[in-house]
Amino acid sequence: MSHTIMSHTVLSSLLSGWLLPVIFFAAFLFSLYRPKKAWPIARVSARAGLTATALTLAATLASIFILDLQADVLSVTLMLLVALLGWVITGFAYRYLQGESSEQQARFVQSMLFTLTSVGLLITSQNLLLIALAWAGTSFGLHHLLTHYKERKAAQVVAHKKFIVSRLAEIALVIALVLIYQTAGTLSLPLLNAFISEQPSLPVALHWAAALFALAAILKTAQLPLHGWLIQVMEAPTPVSALLHAGVVNMGGFVLIRLAELISLAPVAQAMLVVVGSLTAVLAGLVMMTRISIKVRLAWSTCAQMGFMLMEIGLGLYELALLHLLAHSLYKAYAFLSSGETVAQSRIGDFFSKEKKRHILLSTLFSPLLTLAVVSASVILWQTFTPDLHLSSAVTLILVLGLTPLFWQEQQLRLSALLTATVRVTLLTQLYLIWHLLFAQLAPAAGTASQALMIWVAISFIALYSLQTWIRLWPEGRVSRRLFPWAYNGFYLDETFTRLAFKCWPARLSPQQAQTRFNRQSQDTRYSNSHQHNLGDRA
Amino acid sequence: MNAPFKADPLKEKTLHDAIKRATGSIAPTWPLDRMIAVNPYWEQISHHFNQVADRQSRLAGSAMTLPLSYYQKRWIDGTIKAVHLQQALAEFASQSEDFCLSEQQAIAGLTEQDTSPVPPPLLGDTLDQMRDLQHEPAWCDTITHQVSQFCAAWFDNDQADWHPGQKKSTGQGSLYKSWRKTLTRDHSVALLMKAPGIAAKAKTLSEDPVQQIANTLQDLQIPEAQWPEYLQAVLMRISGWASWAAYLGWQARLEGQEDHTLTDLLAVRLSWQQLIDDGQRQQGSVWQIWQQQWQQHRQTHEGVNPLHLIWQRAHEISYQQQLSKRLQGKPHPLGAQASVQAVFCIDVRSEVFRRHLEDQSDEIQTLGFAGFFGLPVSYTPLGTEATRPQLPGLLAPALHITDTCGNAAKDHKIAHKRRSNLNKLLSWQPFKSVPASAFTLVETLGLSYAGKLIRRSLPDEGELTSGNSLGLNKGCDLQPSLASSGGSPEQQAELAKKVLTGMNLTQGLAPLVLLVGHGSQSHNNPQRAGLDCGACCGQTGEVNSRALAKLLNDQEVREQIAQLGIQIPETTHFVAALHNTTTEEISLFDQQQIPESHQLAVNKLQQQLASAGKQARQERAPSLGLAELQEQPDKLLKSVRQRANDWAQTRPEWGLTNNASFIIAPRARTRGIKLDGRSFLHDYSPQKDPEGTLLEQIMTAPMVVTHWINMQYFASTVDNTRYGSGNKTLHNVVGGRLGVFEGNGGDLRTGLALQSVHNGEDWQHEPLRLTVVIDSDRVTIEKILSKHDTLRQLADNRWLYLARFTPMGIEFYQGDGKWQVNC
Repeated sequence: MSHTIMSHTVLSSLLSGWLLPVIFFAAFLFSLYRPKKAWPIARVSARAGLTATALTLAATLASIFILDLQADVLSVTLMLLVALLGWVITGFAYRYLQGESSEQQARFVQSMLFTLTSVGLLITSQNLLLIALAWAGTSFGLHHLLTHYKERKAAQVVAHKKFIVSRLAEIALVIALVLIYQTAGTLSLPLLNAFISEQPSLPVALHWAAALFALAAILKTAQLPLHGWLIQVMEAPTPVSALLHAGVVNMGGFVLIRLAELISLAPVAQAMLVVVGSLTAVLAGLVMMTRISIKVRLAWSTCAQMGFMLMEIGLGLYELALLHLLAHSLYKAYAFLSSGETVAQSRIGDFFSKEKKRHILLSTLFSPLLTLAVVSASVILWQTFTPDLHLSSAVTLILVLGLTPLFWQEQQLRLSALLTATVRVTLLTQLYLIWHLLFAQLAPAAGTASQALMIWVAISFIALYSLQTWIRLWPEGRVSRRLFPWAYNGFYLDETFTRLAFKCWPARLSPQQAQTRFNRQSQDTRYSNSHQHNLGDRA
Repeated sequence: MNAPFKADPLKEKTLHDAIKRATGSIAPTWPLDRMIAVNPYWEQISHHFNQVADRQSRLAGSAMTLPLSYYQKRWIDGTIKAVHLQQALAEFASQSEDFCLSEQQAIAGLTEQDTSPVPPPLLGDTLDQMRDLQHEPAWCDTITHQVSQFCAAWFDNDQADWHPGQKKSTGQGSLYKSWRKTLTRDHSVALLMKAPGIAAKAKTLSEDPVQQIANTLQDLQIPEAQWPEYLQAVLMRISGWASWAAYLGWQARLEGQEDHTLTDLLAVRLSWQQLIDDGQRQQGSVWQIWQQQWQQHRQTHEGVNPLHLIWQRAHEISYQQQLSKRLQGKPHPLGAQASVQAVFCIDVRSEVFRRHLEDQSDEIQTLGFAGFFGLPVSYTPLGTEATRPQLPGLLAPALHITDTCGNAAKDHKIAHKRRSNLNKLLSWQPFKSVPASAFTLVETLGLSYAGKLIRRSLPDEGELTSGNSLGLNKGCDLQPSLASSGGSPEQQAELAKKVLTGMNLTQGLAPLVLLVGHGSQSHNNPQRAGLDCGACCGQTGEVNSRALAKLLNDQEVREQIAQLGIQIPETTHFVAALHNTTTEEISLFDQQQIPESHQLAVNKLQQQLASAGKQARQERAPSLGLAELQEQPDKLLKSVRQRANDWAQTRPEWGLTNNASFIIAPRARTRGIKLDGRSFLHDYSPQKDPEGTLLEQIMTAPMVVTHWINMQYFASTVDNTRYGSGNKTLHNVVGGRLGVFEGNGGDLRTGLALQSVHNGEDWQHEPLRLTVVIDSDRVTIEKILSKHDTLRQLADNRWLYLARFTPMGIEFYQGDGKWQVNC
């Protein structure tokens, strides 16, 4: 008997998932104490994190399937992600940063461990106050990573822009927490959910709280128009970008999924998420097409993907949002870390015919129908085995429009190409449905969204599909030429924000950081006290 | 060209000369997939090194030596000794009469405060000084950003999916015109800088770039005499993209055409001076303050401190003396009859391997020859359009080759199948690139990236792969072949003869002749091509060595060569090989073609290659931070292989760092002498070249290439901010292959990354101008110099040092027919 209780205690402590943040936090403290040993500490903790996660996963599976217990599968899923990212990025950065001064490397390790601790805490905690604190913690840790090269002015400016946005988000969070506490008398998630389910309708204060959480998520996931900081953070080493884009920026989505029961009942929050998210997804997607450097292109892509994820949350599609969060993290971490392969990719591109072939107009019009046929057939087939499977019309539309380009034909319609496309679309659809079903087990139950939002999303994506297709069909046409300057300039959103930021809340640049390379040793008296000979910046 | 000053032909000429001076001082930079070394001062070699150092300092704020503290370290650690300094001082004294600096003063000078040069101020800098830069963006950053982003978009062919108006056929014509048009509609700078008039002002700019240059010069009231300097100073502010534009000009010239992109770029950067000018000219106006600063910079900027140049020279003398001493050592003899001859590239990395290979047996003879093996070819993998040059960047390809399996009909079939495979791959492309599919892509395939992340994080010891086989089905036995260029056997034999003569292999051929190209192995490295064979235009030497081996093994060709007077014994077989410079392993190609009779010899050779590689790795281990593995060869090999496959490795190998000399002589002079991987080695025997024609070829081609490499490493070290590409951890590839940005943006960065020349503690490359030691007599060398202006300039203006072997020791060329023995 006592044996069972013991194993239950062990199990539940494992299940709680605290192991991961505790490991990272211990490593963080230890690295502060022994900065010279920072890398060994980081690498050991990354491996320990992986092991702990594996244990937690095993315990969770055991408890669900054998002991028939409740477990926080959402948290475990995210733990897997964070532990994997922590291990990959630590290993990468360890070798990548070889040769930098030991103080700088130690600072890097400390900031990274602090960020990972915060992320770990964020995903395991069931208390809103802890979640908010951890969320702020990720931002502080990241700030140090983004200014890894202190002397770089652009790094300072960008980190500062992010700083402002994050603090705005935190103000929203604080107000939301106060509202929740006043209304529900608790900041614990299970208690809050219990409170909500007891209410006949959601109290007004909680509507506000939900909207404020949505706002915080919008700010922290770099949605338009305050996205500039995400785009310009290439001023830090590549692994920092990988960590930011894969493990930090998406936490907004995670917090909202955690709050699914609240968000599902708050139409204003939902509308905010859907409108901002889908606009960002569409506009950032268009901007992405115009980018000329790999890392900036990837950053715009993140911006669009985050918009898409928030939109899914707004539509109550938590399982898809969770899938998106995870899949995007892995995809983007890989894309950043391997961004040095761009040249090799271009060389591969040379193997293909150079002349730009135009797609056949007819194929771009008919291909959505073909895709729709494949997708519908698949769904119907699946439904015979799993009657629960249901794709809403907006989801189907996005899936169909997304897969459609596989059916686009060049120059002439060919049967073999059509066959290849059918096979690919069919396979991808099955993959999509499998993930869909799997993640439905992990995420909170789907919420509902208003018809209007569905229609808005449908219109947005039809517009995006039409525009992108139009641009490909007539790259030198009127539409393409008119729209291009806007997309190329990021719809002029960031310039305005940058100027406001410079004006209202200027970055505290040291006089030297503020100088340009060319007026360093000028006679201007304002800077005379910082006259320094810059031998250092050459070495 | 237009005539901006129709009424004044003299002024017109001054203008065109000034433009030419500015654009003519920019050296080209090759794209990253063909990243060959270039001397960034190449277009200025008609002036003395010291003069250019002075000009670079004044007009670009760029140093051409390291800070004094570097030389101080070398002085303290004894690398530079008093004799070296004395000789350097004596040289300077002999060059200039009013030079008076004593040894004591020079030494005391080392501890003086050092200043790094500052570029001359432009109008934007004066404006910036008046702005509160803690609260406002700086003009000079914003202008660089605008021009740089525009250039990237204009030149990009690989990265962006959407860019209308880029093609010449659609009418916007040139870089300048398109930039002007874009700016008239662009509000970003206006918004960011609170300068609402920019777009309207852009409309007032002339449509013609030369006219616009003339207008700005007049508007800003630059005196005619200062035009060249001013234009040069302006162009140096965007020197990265200027180098790219110069590359387009270089390519156009190779094809016998003209390209004016560089002038366009000058007009673009210059126009910004006009756009930010408020038109005020009175006392206290921005323009007036700027004018004062500009004039002051011209008059008071001392240019380069002679101390720097003296210590730089002393450092070079210290190396030259050490080299002279080594070259006077007793070389190891070669056995009576070579059983293996191995031809390596002249690359400094070959020196280490060759030395250890020769150590294996006195029957192994090694030779040095340019790694493209004299084949002036471009190569296209069969059935694709991926044509690329496989020869030095100085030359235009004369022959176009592809692969063959030896049977034309079969080739045709393979090509057809490959095209269809490639098309299948290509049809993924829209799905992977259009924005509306990106979300579906993530939700279907995104999770699979977990596997990739794990796989690439785990250690991997994979071998170097050629990268030429995309879309090929397994089992296609293809080999690049010169026959595919369409030349007759006679023409092929003619080429073969030329190559064999150049290699000094016209007689005494061994039964096995190894043609060793080289390539590096690194991943996730945008500058990978910079570690490959420079003579093959930043590719590996695989194609050239295989094609040449095939040519020389061809029975028909051999018969033809015999008629041209060269006998290739029937017992001789040529084997193509590749030297992996990262792991120091050599692999043999097309082994199935090796005749049964040679199999035993090949097996023995493989063992010798393996143990030579082991020793070469041991020699290199300390520089890679692997000194502790020096005595554990297996672990060392494993570690080096893992390094070559590591996606997070910023220093896969040290490439050509520390290169310092080029020796043009028979190997007999250097065999067994340790040259520390610092010397390029080209075989040459003066007895077989009484007319000096071979030497002339060597000096006009390989020597220039080695000089380019030498100066690329030099410039990337002494001024990594301008001629190097900065921190690799921030590299952001532009336009798929054009170059890199360091971080978000800024100018295009050219040259080597800091990580390629610096290990975090100290420079791994000693910036020394190349010392070329030739085994020939004075008359022949001087005759060649007098025939080629470029070579004379290189030697006379001290861009490299010429020297020759004499019985007394190594004798150095002093210019004007003077030679001096250095010992």
